[in-house]
Amino acid sequence: MQNELLLAAESSSLGDTLFVLIAFIILALLVKHYAWTPITNMMEKRNQKITGDLDYADQERQKAAELKQQREAALKNSKVEAVQIVADAKKSGEDQRQTIVEQAHSEAQEIQVRAQANAQQAKEDAMKSVQNDVAQLSVDIASKIIGRELSVDDQANIIDSYIKELNASHETK
Amino acid sequence: MNGSSPLITLGGLTFNIANCLSTLIAAVVVFVLFYALSRKIEMRPGKAQNVLEWIVDFTNGIVKQLIPNKNQAQPIMFYVFIMFAFVFVANQLGLIFEIAIGGQTFVKSPTSSPIVTMALGTISLVLSQYYCVQQLGFKGYLHHYVEPIWFLTPINILEEFTNFLTLSLRLYGNIFAGEVLLDLLVQLANSHGVLTWIVAMPLSIIWQGFSVFIGSIQAYVFATLSTVYISHKIVEE
Repeated sequence: MQNELLLAAESSSLGDTLFVLIAFIILALLVKHYAWTPITNMMEKRNQKITGDLDYADQERQKAAELKQQREAALKNSKVEAVQIVADAKKSGEDQRQTIVEQAHSEAQEIQVRAQANAQQAKEDAMKSVQNDVAQLSVDIASKIIGRELSVDDQANIIDSYIKELNASHETK
Repeated sequence: MNGSSPLITLGGLTFNIANCLSTLIAAVVVFVLFYALSRKIEMRPGKAQNVLEWIVDFTNGIVKQLIPNKNQAQPIMFYVFIMFAFVFVANQLGLIFEIAIGGQTFVKSPTSSPIVTMALGTISLVLSQYYCVQQLGFKGYLHHYVEPIWFLTPINILEEFTNFLTLSLRLYGNIFAGEVLLDLLVQLANSHGVLTWIVAMPLSIIWQGFSVFIGSIQAYVFATLSTVYISHKIVEE
């Protein structure tokens, strides 16, 4: 029995080996064509897609971070600018106020000066006309009192000298 | 199993019906399985595709562990994948059904025959030589035989055959022993009628479960060791 089995195994070994080899190779070729190639291609494709998606996500994140930074910088800048603008506006307002006040001041002074001059002028004019009137009046009075003609010019001279004295004494006071 | 198998002679070659038929059945099962699983390949995998991808990832993991270089690992991955699948199915085949008519076995685990496992071992042996020449050139291939020192050449050559023998006979021994014990349990069950049936049934169930485990482990070991032998040839340390 043992011997027989051994004999049988020996006699069929080459045929069986060839059969197994050929069957295995055919199986391998079929499986490679129908299952292995599509599945590994798809796995590779998926792998690449995942890698690509991850890269894309990284890029987008970086871009977003950059944008955020830019925005923040712009915001900070605008704050500084706003402060600058307000400060400028204050300063120019102050300047303007200063000039307006100065102008008003100078104008007021000018007006005062002019008014004083006008008043002086009016005073002088009034004084002059009063002088003349007084002279004429005194001549008229005198001529009425004395009853004779007096030289207006002489009287005017006398009155002028009086008034000058009067003025002088008035101013010293 | 203890019975002999029918032989037929075709064109000067003798074939063992049990070995050839079982191998053919295992091959057809593997093909149908993978053909069915790979019908709808999409970017978003369905159930079948997930199963197939899981198997592919599993065997690719074996290769990647041992051969870190991706370009070197790429061509070996398919071989390990198909070898693992075939040996796995072949190991389980004899557990699921074994057909014996008139003391002659027709269908069993093909891997319970040393001839079949040696044929599979031959493929690993030849492929390891082939990849070595392909990756390192013929000079690099020959250099492997004088690797640590020149006078170890005979041992290096012997090692090729011991690798091949241990790879083949380990698988054969495990599966053959499993089937022998199953046969013995069946004989026990039939020896004294109903009483022995009751005794043999739980034992048979336990041993079948254990054999499934052994068959899976041996398929994994066979694929891993094939990769190890190839990696020894092509990975430069």
